[in-house]
Amino acid sequence: MLLELKNMFKWVTVGGNRIFLLKDINLQVQEGEFISIMGPSGSGKSTLLNVIGMLDGFDEGEYNFLHESVHKLKEKQRAQLYKQYIGFVFQQYHLIDELTVYENIETPLLYQDVKSSERKAMVADMLDRFNIVGKKDLFPSQLSGGQQQLVGIARALIAKPKLILADEPTGNLNSRQGEEIMELFTQLNKEGVTIIQVTHSEKNAAYAGRTIHLLDGRIEKHINN
Amino acid sequence: MLKTYFKITLRNLWRNKLYSFINIAGLAMGIAAFILILQYVSFEKSVNGFHENIATTYRLLNEDPKGQTWPQVEPGWAQKAKDRFPEIQAYCRFEEGVGQGIVRRNAENAEPFRETNVGYAEGNFFEFFSFNVLEGSAAAFKKPNVVFLSTATAKKYFGKAEPVGQSLTLYNQFGKANYTVSGVYDIPVNSDIRYDMVFSLETLSNPANLNDNDWAQLDNLSSQYIHTYFRINETADYKKLEQKLTTLRNELKKDKDGLVFRLQPFANVHLPASFSDTYQTSGNLKYVYILSIIAILILAIAWFNYINLSTANALKRANEVGVRKVVGASRGSLVLQFLGESMLVNLISFGLALLIVRLLQPLFNTIIEKELTFTSLLSTPAWVAGLVLLIIGSLLSGAYTAYSLSGFNPVETLKGKLVKTTKAVVLRKSLVVFQFSISIGLLLATAFIYRQLNYMQNKNLGVNTDQLLVIRGPQVDKDSTYKMRRTAFINAIAQQSFVKDYSLSGSVPGNGYNFATSGFSQPGSRKGDELKSFSFALIDDRYLNTYQIGLAAGRTFTQAETMVDWNDNDKVLMNEKAIEELGFKSPEEALNTKVQWDERKLQVIGVVKNYHHIGLQKAIDPIIFYPQSNSAYFTVRLQTDRIQDNVAQLETMFKSYFRNNPFEYFFANDNFNKQYISEQQYSKLFTTASVWAIIIACLGLFGLATYTVEARTKEIGVRKVLGANVLTIARLLSKDFLQLVFIAFVIAVPVVWYAMYRWLENFAYKVQLSWWVFAAAGIVAIGIALLTISFQAIKAAIANPVKSLRTQ
Ligand SMILES: Nc1ncnc2c1ncn2[C@@H]1O[C@H](COP(=O)(O)OP(=O)(O)O)[C@@H](O)[C@H]1O
Ligand SMILES: [Mg+2]
Repeated sequence: MLLELKNMFKWVTVGGNRIFLLKDINLQVQEGEFISIMGPSGSGKSTLLNVIGMLDGFDEGEYNFLHESVHKLKEKQRAQLYKQYIGFVFQQYHLIDELTVYENIETPLLYQDVKSSERKAMVADMLDRFNIVGKKDLFPSQLSGGQQQLVGIARALIAKPKLILADEPTGNLNSRQGEEIMELFTQLNKEGVTIIQVTHSEKNAAYAGRTIHLLDGRIEKHINN
Repeated sequence: MLKTYFKITLRNLWRNKLYSFINIAGLAMGIAAFILILQYVSFEKSVNGFHENIATTYRLLNEDPKGQTWPQVEPGWAQKAKDRFPEIQAYCRFEEGVGQGIVRRNAENAEPFRETNVGYAEGNFFEFFSFNVLEGSAAAFKKPNVVFLSTATAKKYFGKAEPVGQSLTLYNQFGKANYTVSGVYDIPVNSDIRYDMVFSLETLSNPANLNDNDWAQLDNLSSQYIHTYFRINETADYKKLEQKLTTLRNELKKDKDGLVFRLQPFANVHLPASFSDTYQTSGNLKYVYILSIIAILILAIAWFNYINLSTANALKRANEVGVRKVVGASRGSLVLQFLGESMLVNLISFGLALLIVRLLQPLFNTIIEKELTFTSLLSTPAWVAGLVLLIIGSLLSGAYTAYSLSGFNPVETLKGKLVKTTKAVVLRKSLVVFQFSISIGLLLATAFIYRQLNYMQNKNLGVNTDQLLVIRGPQVDKDSTYKMRRTAFINAIAQQSFVKDYSLSGSVPGNGYNFATSGFSQPGSRKGDELKSFSFALIDDRYLNTYQIGLAAGRTFTQAETMVDWNDNDKVLMNEKAIEELGFKSPEEALNTKVQWDERKLQVIGVVKNYHHIGLQKAIDPIIFYPQSNSAYFTVRLQTDRIQDNVAQLETMFKSYFRNNPFEYFFANDNFNKQYISEQQYSKLFTTASVWAIIIACLGLFGLATYTVEARTKEIGVRKVLGANVLTIARLLSKDFLQLVFIAFVIAVPVVWYAMYRWLENFAYKVQLSWWVFAAAGIVAIGIALLTISFQAIKAAIANPVKSLRTQ
């Protein structure tokens, strides 16, 4: 098992009242799974993804990732954990404007102290694989949305994570570009990468093995595709 | 890693050109001011430091009961002290001013020059002090009738010819004497003792060379005219020696004048050890401190710009921080990145600052009236302290920025929600207030210094110094025909149509008095009055007319009265202040009374209206005008505007009667205003400093305004759609900033009021600290700030709202 959430609650206190963002979440994810999360806007999809990605904390319940109890870890250890095992893909791509395609992809390796020669090889592989060798010296603003998202995914994959978390990765793309991304995810998944994606599109959700439906911070239903 | 940081920093700087420009320009200006001032401080600290034995060398000072000190002492003490106290290894005496005169090559038709920066010095002068003797040997100076020249002076007199072995003739109060040039020396710029030429003091040990000036005898203990330096044993306690010297003085000195001896370490001759050290110095510690403080304040303003603009820029950087954290950046690595950025910005600014320093060096040198170069900076370890301060400052300003930027929560920032921390906003506002307090403070100080200077230069002096040309009287060839030639010259002047008035006098306004003395009383005086000091001015019958000085009662001298011998004269004029000091109630009461001057009786034939004979720093002195046909100065009141021609004519006339004398002249008003050089220097310094500070602070304000407008683009768009007009929006955007500038003003006012109150205490006649000057400066500051902000505010206010809303 890759990760497990048990009776997880997350809330914020506004004017003395608790507003629940996540309510009693129970979820098990096996290594190699491909999962979609769906639900209306404001239902807590991004919140859930951020908690799984350890970017955000929670208030009650348990979270185990590999053999670690995330809720018991210190900030630093948690960072170490997600840095090593998790890659993020965003709807707005979130590339660094001042860096070229090459440098954007390279960035995670810099924070993991990978040697320069090794970095070169890894980035070259990734550029090759995504067919963007010719664009490596361009800046994000010089790319189309689809291309930017490819770079975003390449960056998420560069450190060879076990888990990819993608928050509406196709939300800003046209349907043809979206399809390409979904096919890429399917391919990655076949290679053994676990993927959890948030999506609004039934069609894209169907690429995954199962879909989780959220409503008001609660898991409404699991559907196996 | 470092390389990528470097790259991203440069790209960031390039992308945000305006922001980078403001940051770098501001910092460069701040650092440049800092370096320039550091040069000055370093130079001042280095003065005299090159003397090898500075640590064991002391200057002898006289101190009066009021604590006033001066370095001119009686020449006889040095040898007597050395004979008596074994801890004194050596002494060296030299004088400044006494030896002034005219020098010419000992050759037919050689050009005469007036030399003011010359003097007599002890035979061991070039051994006692560490001056570089380039030609000749230091020992050669021990002989009488020997002169050493500075390299520049040697060139002036002999051009390319070999100076050593040549002969110069010196005409001064000791008569005419020939000197053999036996050495050429070089004195570093950072030396207090600097002569154009030095004559061997040994010459004056021969009574034949004194020309009846008995006061100058080298073993006399009564006339204070020579500087004396002692070299003492390393182990000796100079404070003890000081007491022994005073005891010696009391033992040998007949007239008890209440003076004591002080020994001043040579190291403190230029700058005192601290403000509590009140001995006379050649440098100005206060000036050094004021400049240092200004340097640091200006630098602080620039760093605050950096902090303010970088944290305001956080809006743009937040996303990057978020992404970096998500892909695994630790806070530490982000801090390092931002710190590196600030270092780079500081480094670029430093480079630019060096360029600015090069460009502004001449301007700065005129303000400071020193010949500073970049190497002045390296003359003392002060530059190390400066560098450390620069590094610490840039680290701190960078560290704060790094700390606040690296602290963002990635979930928040990636959502595009930047939490505005009130702490950061409060800090930013405080820094702006601080920057403007300093700028406004400097502006206010400038206004008052300028007003005081202006007041002094324009106040009615009671004497009219306009269009008055003053010619220095001749000194060479004062033989038996001199009086006749002088009369002829005066008559020639009187016949010129452009001459309105003329006069002969021993002193002129702006150049002090002939001397000051006590011992005056009148029948009605109280005991103690005879101790009051009166200043003496030697004038002829035309002086009051020529200078247009009024009479309160009586008459001025007649021509015959000015011809009477000094000791036979029994008539004087006094100014109103003098008769008041003597206890007379009115000019009429004083008129025709006889006042006692020791054993002599002098009849007051007229009372002169008070006028300013010296600068307005000092209150009007009691003056006694003594009739003399003294020819130290010829004053001519010109009638026309063709001054160039007139001066040329006067020169021809002067030369025809006084061959071998240089024709030297000055204008009485320029000469009078020379007394305000120090105030003029302060005025220039503060003007420059305040302009500099205001520019840097406004750069920052402009940057902040730009960001605020950017951050509020959407709000502005919505407001416009809802019907707000340009004025309301511009006002909305400017209001916050103007509030800060106003607070800064309120803070600056009392500080400046106090500082200026203290400064104005130096002046007997001074301007008021009027409220309207404060108000005017406040309005100017707010006006400048408003101008700075309104550019961005108005641009935002007139922008098309549809456009700004769409891009959001
Ligand atoms: N820090 C927070 N404070 C208050 N409310 C929050 C906070 N974060 C998220 N929310 C609210 O929680 C709900 C879920 O948000 P989110 O997970 O972003 O929804 P989704 O991604 O499904 O559209 C939303 O209603 C959002 O407004
Ligand atoms: Mg969402």
